[in-house]
Amino acid sequence: MKKRLMALVLAGAMAFSLAACGGNSSSSDSASEAAESESAESEEAESSTDSESTGNNTVVIAMGSGFDTLDPGQVYEKYPQMIINACYETLFKFYSNDGSAEPMLVDTYEFSEDNTVLTLTLKDGITFASGNTMTSADVAFSLNRTKNLQGNPAFITDTIDSIETPDDKTVVINLTQPDGAILSKLAYSACSILDSAVVTENGGSDAEDAATADTAQAYLDSTSAGSGMFVMTSYIPDSEIVLEKNPSYWGESTNVDKYIIQIQDDANTQMMTLSTGDIDIACNMTEDTMSELEGTDGITLLNSSTKTVSFLMMNMDESIGGPVSDPKVQQAIRLAVDYAGIQTICGEGTTTPYSIIQDGFFGSLGQRSTDYTDLDAAKALLEEAGYPDGFDVDLTVCDLAMEGIPLTDLAQKVASDLAQIGINVNIVSEAWAAGYGDDYRDGKLGFTVMYWGIDYNDPNVQLEFLPGGVVGLRAGWTAEMDADIAELYTKATNATEDADREAVLKEIQEATYEYGPFVMLAQAPCPMAYNSRLSGVAFSDPYTVDLTQVNVQ
Amino acid sequence: MIRAAKKLFKSNYLFTLGVVVCIFWIIMAIFAPVVAPYDPIEQNAEMRLEAPSLAHLFGTDNFGRDIFSRVIYGGRYSLLAGLLTVLIAGIIGTFYGAIAGYVGGKTDNIMMRLSEMILSFPSLILAMIINAVMGSNLFNTMFALVIVAWPTYARLMRSVVLSIKENEYVEAAEVLGASRIRILTKEIIPNSIQSVLIMATTDIGNQILMFSTLSFLGLGSAPPTPEWGMMVSDGVEYFNKFWVAGFPGLAIFTMAVGANFIGDGLRDLLDPKLRKQF
Repeated sequence: MKKRLMALVLAGAMAFSLAACGGNSSSSDSASEAAESESAESEEAESSTDSESTGNNTVVIAMGSGFDTLDPGQVYEKYPQMIINACYETLFKFYSNDGSAEPMLVDTYEFSEDNTVLTLTLKDGITFASGNTMTSADVAFSLNRTKNLQGNPAFITDTIDSIETPDDKTVVINLTQPDGAILSKLAYSACSILDSAVVTENGGSDAEDAATADTAQAYLDSTSAGSGMFVMTSYIPDSEIVLEKNPSYWGESTNVDKYIIQIQDDANTQMMTLSTGDIDIACNMTEDTMSELEGTDGITLLNSSTKTVSFLMMNMDESIGGPVSDPKVQQAIRLAVDYAGIQTICGEGTTTPYSIIQDGFFGSLGQRSTDYTDLDAAKALLEEAGYPDGFDVDLTVCDLAMEGIPLTDLAQKVASDLAQIGINVNIVSEAWAAGYGDDYRDGKLGFTVMYWGIDYNDPNVQLEFLPGGVVGLRAGWTAEMDADIAELYTKATNATEDADREAVLKEIQEATYEYGPFVMLAQAPCPMAYNSRLSGVAFSDPYTVDLTQVNVQ
Repeated sequence: MIRAAKKLFKSNYLFTLGVVVCIFWIIMAIFAPVVAPYDPIEQNAEMRLEAPSLAHLFGTDNFGRDIFSRVIYGGRYSLLAGLLTVLIAGIIGTFYGAIAGYVGGKTDNIMMRLSEMILSFPSLILAMIINAVMGSNLFNTMFALVIVAWPTYARLMRSVVLSIKENEYVEAAEVLGASRIRILTKEIIPNSIQSVLIMATTDIGNQILMFSTLSFLGLGSAPPTPEWGMMVSDGVEYFNKFWVAGFPGLAIFTMAVGANFIGDGLRDLLDPKLRKQF
């Protein structure tokens, strides 16, 4: 009896303290909001009643998980980019999925002679959701904060040396070295422009000790502090995010009033809820669930290819690669792979890039023709290389999957293709965690199939596949082996003008089209499906879906 | 004994069913090249994910491979893994347990604590670790299964030996001056092996399941080997195409259940304590 009483008292105490907590935080939140922007809030209240009367312009999205913060300075994972893009804005932006970054908040920009100084002027009349006007100080604060937080995405600011703000509209970015990808980097979520007044008030800091001094993450996980079309009003990790229209958006808004984003990545659940109308956009479909929805009224299927690419890697070092280190054998393998078959196995939307730069990137030469495969030419090359009867080789493959496509599937397909020209492939499975990962990074694998996801949306990320680059070295491809190809690396990073960049990127793609230790197999597809009442839904590499382009019809 | 077996067949239908199922799979495994209509690893991109039809009884998988042929070939690996694992683990466990039980004292203590160390790990996790560290292929998977399985046999054997060694005929052999090894191999093991045999028959089904589980998790032999567990895991991606995972799953189920029925039947036959009145 005594115990029971005790338990009751404890439970009561807990309930009381919880209620007290909730009450406290909500009252303090609303108090601070009210203080910041009385006008904005009253407008917001109005618009929310509006949307209730017009009713249906709420869009529900189901997307994948794997993240635990929405602080732009910390976000590096794939899916939060969609949220950041809706709530914050960047200096440059990818308006379409196959172009370069275009000015967004920026009116004009200019590189210095030696390409190490970038001068920007901001557009007029940009306001944050709080009502504050965006100035160059906000830009400097945001970029410095990302850099000094030293979080996962801090690398994006590596080439930024310092930022000067001569006046309210002008930003001068001093670079450590010429960086052809800087505009794309400035379009990355980590370079979103934050409302420095609001963020500072809530513990934010852009000082050099920001990694320890900055405490704004909790605030930025509860609401957003940007100039975007939407404002985040609620974030329950691994469950749900709510975005509401920014009533005082400085630009032109879409007619969506509210986004509810469910963090739920099971393809079958997404398929069911989409067909019953509970969700409007399903981001994590699979080939299998797509085929179930085919022909369903009111649902549009979207098969696009991502820039995540799988490739065969053949070590250039003969002591590691053995026969596959021979350029002739490498070319024979490139000719023997059945690209059309690989695209079928990976599912609709899969493409094979022309060479090491994925289709869809700025400057890309597009796709490798599926009738590139030529078994006779491949056999002839093998004979020339001294293997008329082919050879036996181990193909090491790990347990990872590229956007849901197991690498072992690709390995099996390649093995069966290479058998056609007499190369007898023995697949060796190794766990990523149990040695494969280290061997891959240290360049100890002779022949393997791997995949590569891009860090940010710029073709310069692919320069790592050149001799002496990070991935090149994993294939034992040193800069000395092919000095003329290796020097394209710096040539590409130094180019800033679109025409110059295009020219050098073309040169790179031609040089690696039929040469080198990499055979690009397939760009993974991203199967999505959405309710046909929406327009403007398109796959976007940086944002998955650009929520600022979606309208309800 | 033969009469008892006949009675067993007549009275225990489950046992009979188990025998029929297992013999069916053994025949399939041995004559796979004759029975299977297609090459189990031959790919055909145009025929992928076809539903079961007359041409492809069990349909085709992601690579357009015939699932029926793959299931038939797959029996080889599962049967081999089940039987060999039990055989090797049984032999190791028998001798280990017999020595520990017979010698007794400190040796017994050390030996049994060692085996309990292995038993104290969750068996599946331990097998996965061994497999992941050594690299996964058919041999290593079986090795991992043996490592996990033998201590159970050792424990059982030891407990039986402890009671057997008190028997008068053992004392008699000792008095006659027989060596320890002779007593162990001629007196003790033959008289206690029966309980290990009973356990082994019921264990075959478990080992087949365990083997399939490991290969489902990607820790079996490398693809494109047609292994049942791996085929089920391939099918998980194609949830709405039931035949990809369904038929290999059914194969695992029948084989494991069949082996268990046989095990139960044999236990009834061999175990004097449980023997029914025939």
